[in-house]
Amino acid sequence: MTKTLLIYGAGAIGRGYLPWVFSPVEYDYYYVETNDNLRNLLNKNKKFTTFKVINQEYKDMEVPVKYCYHLNEEKKKISEAEAIITAVGPRNILSITENLKNITTPVICCENDSSIPELMISITNNPNVVFAIPDVITSNIAPPELRGRDPLSIVTEEGICYIDHKVARLGGNCVYVHKDELKKQWLAKLYLHNTPHCIAAYLGSILFVTYLHESMQNKRAEKIVTGAMHEMEGVLLKKFHLENDFVEWYANKELQRFRNTLLYDPINRVAREPFRKLAPNERLIGAAQLCISCGIIPENIMLGITAAFCYDNLNDPDANIKYLIESLKPHDFLKIAMQLHPGEALYELLLDRWDSNLNELRGLKE
Amino acid sequence: MNREQVLKVAMYAAVEAGNLLLEHSNDFLKASPKESLRDIVTEVDKCAEEKIIEILKDYNPYSTILTEESGTISGKNEKNHWIIDALDGTVNYVNHIPFYAVSIAFIEDNSPVVGVVYNPMSSDLYYGAEGIGIYKNHTKIKSKDRIAEECLFAVAFSGKKYEPATRSEEFLMFEKVNDSTRGCLRTGSAAMNLSYLAEGRFGGCWGKANKIWDVAAGILLAKLSGATVEYRYVSKEKNLVSCIATVPSAWNFIKEKIKLW
Repeated sequence: MTKTLLIYGAGAIGRGYLPWVFSPVEYDYYYVETNDNLRNLLNKNKKFTTFKVINQEYKDMEVPVKYCYHLNEEKKKISEAEAIITAVGPRNILSITENLKNITTPVICCENDSSIPELMISITNNPNVVFAIPDVITSNIAPPELRGRDPLSIVTEEGICYIDHKVARLGGNCVYVHKDELKKQWLAKLYLHNTPHCIAAYLGSILFVTYLHESMQNKRAEKIVTGAMHEMEGVLLKKFHLENDFVEWYANKELQRFRNTLLYDPINRVAREPFRKLAPNERLIGAAQLCISCGIIPENIMLGITAAFCYDNLNDPDANIKYLIESLKPHDFLKIAMQLHPGEALYELLLDRWDSNLNELRGLKE
Repeated sequence: MNREQVLKVAMYAAVEAGNLLLEHSNDFLKASPKESLRDIVTEVDKCAEEKIIEILKDYNPYSTILTEESGTISGKNEKNHWIIDALDGTVNYVNHIPFYAVSIAFIEDNSPVVGVVYNPMSSDLYYGAEGIGIYKNHTKIKSKDRIAEECLFAVAFSGKKYEPATRSEEFLMFEKVNDSTRGCLRTGSAAMNLSYLAEGRFGGCWGKANKIWDVAAGILLAKLSGATVEYRYVSKEKNLVSCIATVPSAWNFIKEKIKLW
């Protein structure tokens, strides 16, 4: 008898990656999705295809969809679910917590923010909320030839999903780990994946390319991304004392991923919400601060930060970054938009390199 | 004019003027009374105003600008114009109370369509425009709807010389709201009151016979944040406006207690 899996978010991770972890043979797939077009299409087609890139080739899987609910329509299904998975993005998590209050069903948070499970436990009173790290890049859109086969096609790469061992009974094609290993994997993902990944995207945005691998095909951009990776490797070794071999292996693995021409990782997905990525403890400003605290001058990360300042996408929730960067003088921008202040090392460094970094970014295309 | 451009110019001008206010905030400031002891002007007010005018004129030399200290600076287009207050909350400013702001609005067809309020002490930049949205610094903001009993309110009283005979009524209205809600503050800056409403801090605010330059930007920000706003000129000649703005759930409660017209 199949079990019920309720997934909040039918995007890149929810649709593209999770079926490879929790087999649709074993689980009936139910989604909760607020995007009307996507929800209607899933309910109309009752299936979609996810492609996994293995050794530079696609392997496909057709995933039957029992139903895709609009938010709040799923309430009755919650009690039937064997497990609930969230992949909605950190900014949207609060919109779903109300419906998950006072249940004991395991909830796996596949969110790119390690503080989410604790937040959810406190709001929902459910002690079985755990963190998971899908160590993959998953594109929310497939290349045209795959979409021709199925308009709901989605592409993911092969990668391990690390999940807190507290819910190990759920099984699946994943690795259940204890807190320390989860923390190590998170640190690596946060700084060796997230930081250079979004820098590659912001550089790609400046280059006006669509996909991440196209950004990495630009020699200057690739040099900046690789440089940022090395800066973060230094932090993981000096500050968090991770093993050298692990750090080096992880960094090389990530750079290979960013260059993967089959993933079609859209720039506007990775670069979205620049202010969230520029928050004080996040992957750009937070990463640069960590470098400084370890005695590393984060020259390449600062180029990435400056590229993020220049992100220009009027459809992005943080589109106002354009108004701020274009209207304010650099020192006012850093103070008002970034909450950085005179005397702080990063403020002074960014200000000192403001013009040269902008010039370097402008020269990417030459 | 391109609204996005107008917004950016207003943001730039507000922050530049704010920097000037901040730079001189510890100077010995000679405050000259205008209409009352509460209505004062300093040299810094004037310098900051000149700075804003310079920036707005630099952007478009033909702009019409209604100002607090220099009156109306006529341009080619009277219908679409700027309304600026380089320092709303001068009494707070001279007393080093960190609740004052630069306020800049752009008006089209008699309604504010771009509004910027900047408090340089806290580096809080509120900005918004019709068709664009409303933000504080990097964050999108909206007012926080709740019933009046759960709201904190703020008031901006009229000038002492405005209808002295009915002045006591304003204090009665203040008392009614203050005693039946989380309270009511007299903050000294109508622009900041409206901005705090837009951000979800205050549940509402009102002002009787306020100067239009104190409230023009804030009125737009409050509207864009989802608050209910009503305002009327009580004297077009003197640029006096009365205004009530609250979160939707507090509107009826406040309208029943506050009679401004």
